[in-house]
Amino acid sequence: MSLDYVKFSPGFDKFMPKEYKDMVEHGPFGKKTTVSQMGSFKEILEEHPMCAGCAMTLFIRLAMISFPNPEDTITVGTAGCGRLAISQAAIPFVYGNYGDQNGVASGLSRGLRLRFGDKPKDVVVMAGDGGMADIGFSCTLHSWFRKEKFTTIMLDNEVYGNTGGQESGMTNKGAVLKMAPLGKKFEKMDMLAMAKSAGCAYVATVVPNNPRRVEAVIKKAVLIAREIGPTYIQAYTSCNIEYAIPTDKVMEDAKNVEGDRYQFTEYVTDEAKQFLAERYGYKEFLPKPAPAVTKA
Amino acid sequence: MYLVADINVDICAQTSCKLCTQFCPEANTILYNDQAGRDKGYKYGAAYVAVDRCKGCAQCVWVCDNMAKHNAIKMIMIDQLPNAAITDNIVYGEKSTTAVLAGPAVG
Ligand SMILES: Cc1ncc(C[n+]2csc(CCOP(=O)(O)OP(=O)(O)O)c2C)c(N)n1
Ligand code: SF4
Ligand code: SF4
Ligand code: SF4
Repeated sequence: MSLDYVKFSPGFDKFMPKEYKDMVEHGPFGKKTTVSQMGSFKEILEEHPMCAGCAMTLFIRLAMISFPNPEDTITVGTAGCGRLAISQAAIPFVYGNYGDQNGVASGLSRGLRLRFGDKPKDVVVMAGDGGMADIGFSCTLHSWFRKEKFTTIMLDNEVYGNTGGQESGMTNKGAVLKMAPLGKKFEKMDMLAMAKSAGCAYVATVVPNNPRRVEAVIKKAVLIAREIGPTYIQAYTSCNIEYAIPTDKVMEDAKNVEGDRYQFTEYVTDEAKQFLAERYGYKEFLPKPAPAVTKA
Repeated sequence: MYLVADINVDICAQTSCKLCTQFCPEANTILYNDQAGRDKGYKYGAAYVAVDRCKGCAQCVWVCDNMAKHNAIKMIMIDQLPNAAITDNIVYGEKSTTAVLAGPAVG
C-alpha cells in the first residue's frame, strides 16, 4: 500500500502486459490527476464485462479517477453488477458475502489505522442498492451508528440488476420490473435521511452526467472519512437493461432524473466543513468574514 | 460485424472540447491526440477511439450531438473503418497520446 506496489519488480518489466506498463508509467499514482485530464493518462480501471452503455460503469470510472490518493485506497464491494468493474482496477478490492461490505470495511479501516497510524489509507465501499439498503441494511446502518471512518457509495440503479430485475427497497413506488410485474407497492427508502440521523458527517446525491461534480463529491467524502466520521454518497446509476433505456439515451435519462427526483444535494456537518477548510484549503467552507459594522 | 464510434478529426479539431471522453463508460477508450488536428492545420488536437475497447453504446454520439453540439461522432461498422486505433498501438506521453493507426481493424 504505497507507490512501491505499482512499480515493476526488477527484471520483470519486459514480461508485463502493455496496459500494465502504461499504468505504471502514465497512470495516476502519485499524481493529482483530474476528470478534466481524462483521455490523456492511463486510468486504473481496465476492461470489464459490464453492459455496454451502463451508467454505473461510467460512475465507477469517474470514481476511480476521483480518489484523492489511489495508491492508498482499498475498495470494498459485494455481489451485484458494480463488482464486475470495481474488481478490474489496479487498486486492491475486497469482496465479501452479499451485504456484509460495511462490516468488512469497518474491520479493514480499523486495522489499517492500527497498522499505519495517522498515514491516511482510504477505504471506499461501492455496492448496489439491493446489497446496501436491503440485504446489507443492518451492516450499513450499524457502521454509521458506530461512526466508522470510511466512505459508503450506493450505486443506485433502483433494481437488482445482476439477477434480472427484482425490486429493491430503493425502487420507486409503482415501478414495474421483470420480476416485479405487479409494480412496487412501497415508497423508495429514504437512505439519505437515515444516513444523516445515524451520524454521517457528509451525505450527498449525484448523477454521473456531471463528471466534475462526481469528482468533487467523492473527494470531499473520502477526505472527511479520514478523520471526522462516516460519509455516504448515493449515486443514480441507471440500469439500461432492466429499465429498457436505449444506450444512446442513458445520459438523457440521467439528466431528466436529475431534474426530477435525483437533484444534487449535499449535507456537510460543521465539523466536516471546518476540517475541509483548515486541512485541505476548501475555500467554500472557510469561515465568512464578519460583516463590516456600519455606524448608524 | 458490429458498430464502433468513429470521430471526424476535421470537425473535432475545430474545438476539441474533450467532453465525450468524460461520458464514455469505458476507461481509456476515447483518447486525445494533441497533434492530430494541428497536423492538418487546425488550432487544436482531436479525440479518437480505441476501437478494441469500444462497446458500441453510442453515448458519445449523444454527448457530441446534444451537449457539445458538434456532431463529430458517427457509429460505423468496424470492418468499414479505413484505419483504426487499437490499444496495442497507443503511446502515452506526458499530456497527450498518439496512436499509430493500423489497417482495417477486422479484415
Ligand atoms: C447471500 C446471497 N444472496 C443472493 C445472491 C444473489 N445475488 C447476486 S447479485 C444480486 C443482486 C444485486 O442487486 P444490487 O445489490 O441492487 O446490485 P446491482 O446488480 O443492481 O448493481 C443477488 C441477489 C448472492 N450472491 N448472495
Ligand atoms: S444489468 Fe444493468 S446495472 Fe448491470 S451492468 Fe447491465 S446495465 Fe449495468
Ligand atoms: S465531444 Fe465531439 S467535438 Fe468534443 S472532443 Fe468529443 S468528438 Fe470532439
Ligand atoms: S460508443 Fe460507447 S463505448 Fe464506444 S466510444 Fe462511444 S461512449 Fe465509448
